[in-house]
Amino acid sequence: MSSFDISKYREMFLEESVELFESADNVLLEAENNGTLNDEEMGQLFRDVHTLKGSGASVELKLFAEFTHDVENMMDKLRNHQIEFQPEMVDTLMAGLDVMKELLELEVAEELTRETFTEMTQDLLIEIRKYINGEAPSSSEPKQVTSQPVQNEKTSSTQASNPSNSLGQSYGFFKEELNGTSSNDFDTQPYGFFDETIINLNDESDNFGFFDDDLQMSAFNSGSKEAKRVQQEETDDSDFFDDMPELDPNSKIEQINNHIASSNSATPQQQAASAAGAKKAADRTKEKTVATTNNIRVNLDKIDLLMNNVGDLVITNAMLTQFTTTIEDSKTRVSVLERLDLLERHIRDMQDSIMSIRMVPMESIYSKFPKVVRDISKKLGKKVEFKHYGDNVEIDKAMIEGLTDPLMHIIRNSLDHGLETPEERVKSGKDEVGFITISAEQANGQMIITIEDNGRGINADKVAQKAFDNGLIDENQLASMSANDKAMLVFGAGVSTADKITDISGRGVGMDVVKTNIQKLGGAIRLDTAVGVGTTITIVLPLTLAILDGLDIAVGTHKYILPLSSIVESLQPTTDMIKRIGDGTQDLLMLREEFIPVVKVYKLFGIEPKYRKIEDGMLIVVKSGNMKVALFIDEFLHQHQVVVKPLDKNFRSVEGIGAATVRGDGSIGLILDILGIINAQKKVEKQHIKEAQKAS
Amino acid sequence: MSKLLIVDDSTMLRDMLNYALNEGGYTDVTEAIDGKDGLEKAKSMAFDLIITDVNMPNMDGITLIAELRKLPQYATKPILVLTTERSDEMKVKGKSAGATGWIVKPFVPDQLLKAVNIVLSR
Repeated sequence: MSSFDISKYREMFLEESVELFESADNVLLEAENNGTLNDEEMGQLFRDVHTLKGSGASVELKLFAEFTHDVENMMDKLRNHQIEFQPEMVDTLMAGLDVMKELLELEVAEELTRETFTEMTQDLLIEIRKYINGEAPSSSEPKQVTSQPVQNEKTSSTQASNPSNSLGQSYGFFKEELNGTSSNDFDTQPYGFFDETIINLNDESDNFGFFDDDLQMSAFNSGSKEAKRVQQEETDDSDFFDDMPELDPNSKIEQINNHIASSNSATPQQQAASAAGAKKAADRTKEKTVATTNNIRVNLDKIDLLMNNVGDLVITNAMLTQFTTTIEDSKTRVSVLERLDLLERHIRDMQDSIMSIRMVPMESIYSKFPKVVRDISKKLGKKVEFKHYGDNVEIDKAMIEGLTDPLMHIIRNSLDHGLETPEERVKSGKDEVGFITISAEQANGQMIITIEDNGRGINADKVAQKAFDNGLIDENQLASMSANDKAMLVFGAGVSTADKITDISGRGVGMDVVKTNIQKLGGAIRLDTAVGVGTTITIVLPLTLAILDGLDIAVGTHKYILPLSSIVESLQPTTDMIKRIGDGTQDLLMLREEFIPVVKVYKLFGIEPKYRKIEDGMLIVVKSGNMKVALFIDEFLHQHQVVVKPLDKNFRSVEGIGAATVRGDGSIGLILDILGIINAQKKVEKQHIKEAQKAS
Repeated sequence: MSKLLIVDDSTMLRDMLNYALNEGGYTDVTEAIDGKDGLEKAKSMAFDLIITDVNMPNMDGITLIAELRKLPQYATKPILVLTTERSDEMKVKGKSAGATGWIVKPFVPDQLLKAVNIVLSR
């Protein structure tokens, strides 16, 4: 038989499992908050774990599937009300999910041995099996699960007593002979036909079956003792099938389920419980936002390709437009231009549509946070309420990766250093439960994300002192900085005023990485804090990385593109605005009491300019984050929208150049990387300072 | 050429089924991502065989089977239900809804094709 590419399918499974785990975690978080688990939630939990098991088994993750089977068993009993939900179960189930995640990763990496597996799962399995048997884990001493007949179970009794065998029957995928068991248990048949009278089964276990005589017969030739046994079972149930009502979706299925349940078990409590559960579930669903939509998964690369294709359309259209200007007959020229204009509008619409495909709701970032907050706050013994807003605000999918870690780090910091312990909070007159909120909104073509806590705030002076000690700032700066600027120093490397380094944060490595990552996305980060009150961190980001509004600038015969978002202002400088320092190699622009270093673009790129005197050319003040420089260029031309094409994929990374595009006339446009230029400038300055110090 | 429809919310599973069916000579395979999608597709085209999973959002497999059986063009067409559950309860549900037969997940490609061949050769 053909060979499946297991690794490819395992990758797909890993991807799919993320959502399933998140869904299950969130249900459990709800349950923890409410102290109850309603029927709908139980069903959702069961389905998630059930799918994880089935899919995991399909890609031969045997150990993962084995452990998941037990977790699934517990969920199954819960949803069938064979065991009653207790709040303590949430911890066990959540731990179970965590172990499942670890097992999954290890097994996919082929690093999971039976020994490790046993180590990881032993204790938890004991707890789970106790719950399954209707005992509370704390009450009885740990013992191996016995084969006590659990009520109404025809199949799982075998599983309870033979944990290691239990999975041997439910998968056996890429092998020539099936992993059939030697038992005559009907349930080992992996396929079957719903035949009412005779089911002839081969001795070799088959994975399918048919409900129809003829089919079953044609599938399986020989009769066996199985047949008789099954026949008996069938006849036992036969009158049940006869008074089966006409089928109608959902409600009837519910009835049938209940019918089945009641014919097997006799507890009226179940009916009452499920009725109560149904009502609670109805209430709970009203609160939930509707998440079921008709979606497909698309690889981001495909969308990038599509964007590229449309970008090419834009360029070709621009070329046509330019060419049209050479048409001498003005009537013809005008009508062609009109039509091309229309074409351009359609293409822009198409671009917008594709852009919107890339847009993903913030909810996909938020979904990871509640669990992390819960885990850390528990670990630290802090009481936290975590709220998120702007779930539906959309962000470019390409930015999600770069954004999730920084946001996570900020939240961890808040939990670790910002929020106080319940005792401390009460002492300072606050509510013992602290809050952290994260919200997102779009404004002015930008995305604004705010993270706020009502913790102890950041001690700006302490931070500034630490920065000074680390040599990040000098005495003058220490004396002259505003409180907020001082607090902003937390984003510098090695600055942490944490008294203790925990494994969560405190090393002073996190916040500067956060800032760099935000800047890489083309964004900026700001901090507002008040001691004893709390801290608010604001992040501003462009809505997308794929399209840029740019300004063409000229230096000599070369043209570059400057991102509009980085431009502060442009000016024709006069001599008195320019100050020369040191040996004359560094010029400063004095603008409204601010000294801004001048970067001569022709020097940076080693090209021949039209003007060498600053007063003859143009200065454009640009910023990245809080840093500014003034670019000295010959002149600036017009602005337009460009489709950004990354440089290193096509070429290699070049300092000062962020990306490239293809212009309407077919020429390549290089897009300036302002942050890169500023960093290069800083390097030069530091070099000068060093040399100056050496000389003195 | 037999037209097959496979309904499963897991992209991975659909891929695997598709692959296995293709290898067995069934190359005209359409995929649906849940019961609702499956029902819509089934209505728009005439399939010779439908294979559906049970646990899916937006309409589960059992409901889908019941709905399909209401449509005249699918009253007697073969429908196989994919399930990881081996309990009688599952079989009763499937049978009551009108399924022709079942296949256990994880499936063995040989067995899958065997079952498909049987129902289609009828």
